[in-house]
Amino acid sequence: MFRSPIAALGALVLLVLVHTTPTAAANPAGFVKDMGDKAFASLSETGLTDEQRAERFRGLLHEAFDLPRIARFTLGRYWRTATDAEKTEFIDLFEKFVVQAYSARFQDLSGKKLNVIQAREVSASQALVLSEILIPGKPSVKINWRVRSKDEEHKIVDVMVEGISMSVTQRDEFAAVIRQTGGNIDGLIKALRRKTASN
Amino acid sequence: MLDFNLALDKALLKPVAYVYKEGVPDPLQINVTNFLSNLRGPVVFANDLLQGEFERAGNTLLRFAMNSTIGILGINDFAAEAGVPKHTEDFGQTLATWQVEEGPYLVLPIFGPSNPRDGFGLLADSLIDPFTWLTPFEFRIGRAVGQAVDRRARAYDQLNDLEKNSLDFYAAIRSLYRQKRRDEIRNGAPATIKPVPGGLSGAPTTGAPATQQSNATPTEK
Repeated sequence: MFRSPIAALGALVLLVLVHTTPTAAANPAGFVKDMGDKAFASLSETGLTDEQRAERFRGLLHEAFDLPRIARFTLGRYWRTATDAEKTEFIDLFEKFVVQAYSARFQDLSGKKLNVIQAREVSASQALVLSEILIPGKPSVKINWRVRSKDEEHKIVDVMVEGISMSVTQRDEFAAVIRQTGGNIDGLIKALRRKTASN
Repeated sequence: MLDFNLALDKALLKPVAYVYKEGVPDPLQINVTNFLSNLRGPVVFANDLLQGEFERAGNTLLRFAMNSTIGILGINDFAAEAGVPKHTEDFGQTLATWQVEEGPYLVLPIFGPSNPRDGFGLLADSLIDPFTWLTPFEFRIGRAVGQAVDRRARAYDQLNDLEKNSLDFYAAIRSLYRQKRRDEIRNGAPATIKPVPGGLSGAPTTGAPATQQSNATPTEK
């Protein structure tokens, strides 16, 4: 491909430079930092009603997370046997469920701070961004973000809080619900409908 | 067994933990947590050694010496402030590093989520613990009660949250317990080859139960 070793070396140097040039949110760590700052600024505003916070949370969720991919993962092997209509409804209900369950957890952000530590490459398209939430007077909470990158676009596909994956937890829980309701995704969809309709 | 524990929790532990959490000033609660975890020093040290983690064993020894003396019987964690942070170990984790399988998930009366390996570990730890042999019965009871209230108070908000937001509380607790234990066994190192959303079909994590792995087929488009 290269006529001289010098040219090859030049190309290599260029490649390294291109890949390590730090630009805003061009890398997974920067992306997590930016999204974290944005989330803190948006959700810590005082005087927000629960609905307003949930709405803002929903917006951030869409911007930062690959929700359809996460939803598909949490269904595990049941994804393959679900009909298209079931899949569509499930993704929709999953989003509602996540907003309902998680937005309330961001009520009290005062004094807390997200500190992005470093990113580790997991595969060609994925990185693990290590971070911690600093809470005054309490031990910090370790949070790792799994970020999938494609064409300079980053999306979070999993969050691990103190080593506990939110996606895996959700998948295990959904699997239990499906097993109890006859091994059919229909039972899970009904349970999610009830859950998301209750508040 | 979960029902029994939940009933006991609701009737006794939860109200006590609530009063403790709301009534006792935060710094004092931290002192209690520190005191109780300092008492575990010898057990952590023994398990560090049994796992061949000599550097961590040294840290544990240093922490115990420092906090028991200038930290005033362990109520202050000056060692952490001096750059030697706390870590825990137990015999269940030691067995895991010796490649002992966890076995089926169990909910033990009073002790809660466990498995045969961790249940055995619990027993072994209490036998390894010098404070089991050196302290009077009343102290041991007080310590056990203190530990239960301290742990319950610290998990108070999370458990409420989980109860409210889970579709299947039992399954959620089981999943959290297994993942937490795996994280502790890895000493908090990130598991990078776990099957996760959008992951390449990576190698399965060692020690992960087969039933949980079977449906982990991350899909790449």
